[in-house]
Amino acid sequence: MTEAQFYSVDYKQRLMAAEKIHEIFSKLIEQIKEGKNPTLVFPKRTLSNTIYDAKRKLLLLGSELQRRRFLDVNEAKKFMQTLLMAKIIYESLINNEYPTIRDLYYRGKHSITYRDLSGRRREENTWDEQKESDAVIRDIEVLTGLLREDMLILSKEKGKLVGKIKLRSGGDIIDASKMGHGAYALEPTPDLIEILDVDADFVLVVEKDAVFQQLHRYRFWEKYRALLITSAGQPDRATRRFVRRLNEEFGLPVYILTDADPYGWYIYSVFKIGSITLSYESEKLATPKARFLGVSMSDIFGEYDDSGKLVRPPYLGAKERKNYIIKATPQDIKRAKELLNYKWFQTKKWKKEILTFLHKKVKLEIEALASKSIRFLADKYIVEKIQSGWID
Amino acid sequence: MPRRKEVFRSLSAAEFFYRNREIAGFSNPSRALYQTVRELVENALDACDSHEILPSIYIRIKEEDPEKSHYRVTVSDNGIGIPPQYVPYAFGRVLFGSKYRLRQTRGMFGLGAKMAILYGQLTTGKPVEIETSPLGSRYKYYFKILVDIKKNEPIIVDQRIRRLKRKSHGTTVSVVIEGDWARAKNKIFEYIKRTAIAAPYANITFVPPEGDRVITYTRTITKMPIPPKEVKPHPHGVDMEMLKMLIASIEANTLKEFLVEAFQGVGEISAEKFLREAGFNPNMSPKLLTNEGIKTLMIKLKNYKGFKPPRADALSPLGKEIIEAGLRSVLEPEFVTAVTRRPSAYSGHSFIVEVGIAYGGKIKPKDEPQLYRFANKIPLLYDEKADVSWKIVSSEIDWKSYNVDFPAPLVVLVHICSTKVPYKGVGKESIADVPEIEREIKNAIREAARKLRLYLSRKKREEEAKRKVLTFLKYIPEVAESLALLSKPPVSIANGDGNYLSTDDIKKMLLNLVIAKLERTGIKLDFNLEDFDIRIE
Repeated sequence: MTEAQFYSVDYKQRLMAAEKIHEIFSKLIEQIKEGKNPTLVFPKRTLSNTIYDAKRKLLLLGSELQRRRFLDVNEAKKFMQTLLMAKIIYESLINNEYPTIRDLYYRGKHSITYRDLSGRRREENTWDEQKESDAVIRDIEVLTGLLREDMLILSKEKGKLVGKIKLRSGGDIIDASKMGHGAYALEPTPDLIEILDVDADFVLVVEKDAVFQQLHRYRFWEKYRALLITSAGQPDRATRRFVRRLNEEFGLPVYILTDADPYGWYIYSVFKIGSITLSYESEKLATPKARFLGVSMSDIFGEYDDSGKLVRPPYLGAKERKNYIIKATPQDIKRAKELLNYKWFQTKKWKKEILTFLHKKVKLEIEALASKSIRFLADKYIVEKIQSGWID
Repeated sequence: MPRRKEVFRSLSAAEFFYRNREIAGFSNPSRALYQTVRELVENALDACDSHEILPSIYIRIKEEDPEKSHYRVTVSDNGIGIPPQYVPYAFGRVLFGSKYRLRQTRGMFGLGAKMAILYGQLTTGKPVEIETSPLGSRYKYYFKILVDIKKNEPIIVDQRIRRLKRKSHGTTVSVVIEGDWARAKNKIFEYIKRTAIAAPYANITFVPPEGDRVITYTRTITKMPIPPKEVKPHPHGVDMEMLKMLIASIEANTLKEFLVEAFQGVGEISAEKFLREAGFNPNMSPKLLTNEGIKTLMIKLKNYKGFKPPRADALSPLGKEIIEAGLRSVLEPEFVTAVTRRPSAYSGHSFIVEVGIAYGGKIKPKDEPQLYRFANKIPLLYDEKADVSWKIVSSEIDWKSYNVDFPAPLVVLVHICSTKVPYKGVGKESIADVPEIEREIKNAIREAARKLRLYLSRKKREEEAKRKVLTFLKYIPEVAESLALLSKPPVSIANGDGNYLSTDDIKKMLLNLVIAKLERTGIKLDFNLEDFDIRIE
């Protein structure tokens, strides 16, 4: 394989992204030539402009627009930062580089010195904290409609994959069923992965890396024809995008297994409908058909119907329950109350889950089920829950 | 140059003034030194002003005898000079002078200079030295004179004449007195500074005893105040002594004739009307009035409402231009304005109030307004807190409402010119709270302060605009550099071809945008991007 071929996928992506950036920012030159205040217009990235599309089950950016003008005292600095960041990204694309967001922060960080009105020399940094440069990266994503992955900006790899799937990445063919005790690390540019062959019936996403490893060694993926993925906590964008591709391109059902607490539930909702801070990416990253496998409150306490009759027994006996459950912290309670307000949690089943949690004030980690025995987790709990017992 | 004949009169009272020297400001060596400088400088300026000669004044204080604290004070002017025959009496006899007429001059009666001479003679025994060349003369006359206090007569100690190669005019007076320079120096420097403010049309040089720091104030304007005209007294301003003196000196057969002759603004008809209403026979001889009659006449004159208001042509205000020039050249402020009010009167005395305001620049900010008081062009340095102007400036004007926030670099000049300045007390250093004058001062300050407010609010707007502009300007280089790259298509960057805008082109375009935006808000500023020296480091 030649180097040119190696870069061929990359090259198209680079050119496409660079041209898009060029197109958007060249408009400013036209405005300046016409004597107009150069202005960048893009959707507002605020909580108030984040809306839940109940029909498509996605968190999306609303229609409110933000106008960032150079000749506006409050916006001038942000305007400068946006252009500076766009320039750095543009340069990296053209120079065949793969910067991380931290690299971009350092590349753009320098000081501007000037004399103030009294002639004193003053110094001002283009930006001080990475928070500032990260914010303008997000603005540029919204502005250009390009995600950072599309602009070949790297982030830390977190997601892992095993299962019967063959991929082509960077010119190499990878068989994710031949990873030994290790796993394939999902690269930060998931759209550059070519999926060659899939031999699986469903996708199981596990929040906890440790449980993922246990299931992997138990060869759960082989036994049940699954693609096993972990997000190792809050999912990064690459993991979300890859899960979405599996669901969208191969029609594989996606099940999410998290701790039984508000943070686990939110991880599920990020996979499913998108996150509040990155709502503009939901269209590409969210998997609206994803299902919550567990661990649910009813798995711990059993499920009762409206008349109070036990319809499904709990997976834990009274003694186990006493050993495994953990007392909820005040922050857990607070977070659960917030979730209750989110529109996408306002279904009958979810309300019941959250209210039970608020009533019992306890939580449970997946590890508790694994420690009972891996067989119990793999062959009984997961299998039964997939058959019936997941929550949408 | 118009020449006026000076009227000299002689009155006696050398001893009286000698015994009451505190009144004239010679209470101690420090005050006496200050007062001597003041009297001689004021005479020198008057010798020029009233004859419309642009003054060049030279002042020198020299330590004559360090052990006895004797100082020689010398003041030279380029005024009209003094005819030699008048010199001995002008300097050697008290109450002999050209100033005894109603008209605004710096000092009254020219008495102060003679007090300085008497004080010098008493404390050092040294005679006064005078050098003078009258206008148009080819000679310089030199005198050394002592005063015979008992007889109130001049004793000429020495007298010389020198022929001049070229015509020249002016007078130099030199006295030796006991003084205290260390204590007086601050006041003397301040006095000369303030004198220069009121006389920017003069060249003033001051050589203090140290000799190493000569102070000069250079003429910055050639306009001079219009000299005052002599006017007759106004009937409202009369007092017993004055009325008696007028009756004695004016030849008039009838009371009616006397009134017309003696007072301003009184014609035959108004005189007759007044006298009938006051119960006097218009045709009686004024010389026949008894003491009681004179007193009644005085009271009736003072209270009669039918007379015309006093005339103002006896007054010589500095005028807006001179005040502004003086404040500007001496204080070097960023803003200056002045107001000359229309003439007004109190108790039969006409007066004009003038106010100047100087702000910023080299004026140091203070917690209170810095008040510069003048009366008939003389700076008043003592008793500031007792002065009516201080009361107004410090507590009756709400400076905040004129956009002045203390500490502020604010100087307020108040000049009162009048045929009779209503001093508080004998020191003649502070002005009394006369309601008419107080009202005029207040109005004048408000008028000037309104202009200051206008200036300050414009300045504030400009500063805000500048600050705003700076926030744009400082980002221009960074934005221009980014745009220069972003506006080149990716392929052309890779190949290095194409003709696109440079960073400098974009910088210029952005700068023009900023300037255009500023102009739309109505503010025009001069600036270059280079002034701000913006660098990306």
